[in-house]
Amino acid sequence: MALLEVSGLVVHYGKALALDGVEMRIEAGELVAVLGPNGAGKSTLLKAISRALPASAGRLVFREKAIDALAVHEVVAAGIGHCPEGRHLFSDLSVRKNLLLGAYLRGDKAAIAADLEHVFALFPVLRERQHQLAATLSGGEQQMVAIGRALMGRPALLLLDEPSVGIAPRLKEVLFDAIRQIQTAGTAILLVEQDASVAFRVASRIYLLEHGRIVREGRSADLAGDDDVRQIYLGI
Amino acid sequence: MLSILVYGAVTSAIYAMLAVGFTLIFGVAGVLNLAHGAFYGLGAYAAYVLTARLGWPLFPAAITAVAAVALFGVAVERWLIRPLRHSALAVLMITIAVGLLFEQAMYLLFGSEARNVPAFINATWGFAGLDIGGQRLLTLVVGAAIILTLWLFIQGTRLGAAILALSQDREGALYVGIPADRIYAVVMAISAAIAAAAGVLTAPFLTVQPTMDLLPMIKAFSIVIVGGLGSIPGSILAALLLGYSETIVAYAISPAWTEIVSLVAVLLTLILRPAGLLGKRAAF
Repeated sequence: MALLEVSGLVVHYGKALALDGVEMRIEAGELVAVLGPNGAGKSTLLKAISRALPASAGRLVFREKAIDALAVHEVVAAGIGHCPEGRHLFSDLSVRKNLLLGAYLRGDKAAIAADLEHVFALFPVLRERQHQLAATLSGGEQQMVAIGRALMGRPALLLLDEPSVGIAPRLKEVLFDAIRQIQTAGTAILLVEQDASVAFRVASRIYLLEHGRIVREGRSADLAGDDDVRQIYLGI
Repeated sequence: MLSILVYGAVTSAIYAMLAVGFTLIFGVAGVLNLAHGAFYGLGAYAAYVLTARLGWPLFPAAITAVAAVALFGVAVERWLIRPLRHSALAVLMITIAVGLLFEQAMYLLFGSEARNVPAFINATWGFAGLDIGGQRLLTLVVGAAIILTLWLFIQGTRLGAAILALSQDREGALYVGIPADRIYAVVMAISAAIAAAAGVLTAPFLTVQPTMDLLPMIKAFSIVIVGGLGSIPGSILAALLLGYSETIVAYAISPAWTEIVSLVAVLLTLILRPAGLLGKRAAF
């Protein structure tokens, strides 16, 4: 049984069809990427999984339990962390408070403190900046806070939406090193990424999403060897 | 001079109590609650019924009145505002309706004449040639205590952190697992309770009649525009500014001129600094 199983997922924005019967599965500890052009429905897919957007049809099964009737906070409690596009930090709160709010649903103080140390170990710059307001950080540092905040909820599955948008190339490397470490530590990751070459490098499997449909899926090594995919997504 | 200082402080405390709840529910839930004046009025009428009609002792009556209005606020949020939240205009209309309902209900139940509510403290304090009613001083002290408590609650508790998070980024708050609907209900209860407390405290020396909700509503709205919609420090600052300006105008010119102060302040704010003193962005 997969960690997350998505079947026949249909989502509408008003009358417009955004997702048209998406099928997807993610195994525990796996790093899977979703690629596709702008407007293909990548962010919509992540929002539908975390129940921030209602689905018109389809099933979401996480850890063998149906989650398609849950509220967003119940999905978080079930073990899905969502690091949204545009970060959505609490900009007038300190970095530390942002991270601790990530553990909002947890009561285990000692474990929360340990996880905060974990995040600081993953992103050492956040330890230095922990008392600064989130809004005063650079884009890359804010992205680290957003990922750290999602990790503080101890997710079994982390949804990562466009983590590298607007970030300096040097910080991008740091970020994706951290993402690999998170996966190595046992957290499954569903990554939506603009930069296809990075996605092919870190993900073990890839889904290609176009017009709200999965048009291809496969191991990243296999897809990277496909001429069509190379031309469209990697430009080589 | 001294009387301006003290009376200005009393007025500011009343205004701050009215404005913080109004700004809080806007900042957190995006609800422009035009029934806020009705919460204030209901607090006063509840105190009237419990003390003058039912003969309850003052303190339990005050607590019960505030708690009842808090519950009423939660009910309004749950069954009238929540189903309409997709449309800011619909929320605006339904809260106006609640305000009108309050006026008509009070008119039918208690008639149009002003009602008397007994004061907690009948004594007056005299110092430096100035006599101040005990109830006014009590209003000042309790009002300041309520606002300080609210501040400590928001800054120091888990629920307070959730309130701050929701007011700063709703989507971010959802994704860390904050149950937004439950927090909105809590904030509505707090907002209604503080307005009701202002009603209970001022009922003995201000008029208790069916249209009593209108002026406080206008004041709360003005203060929040001047201070910046959604900003609690902003509304406290604006409450002080307005409370003192009105008191000074009342002494220097005439009490008849006080009502113009808030209008001028709103006008100047909207022209010079639409976001308000401590607001982040223009709300209109």
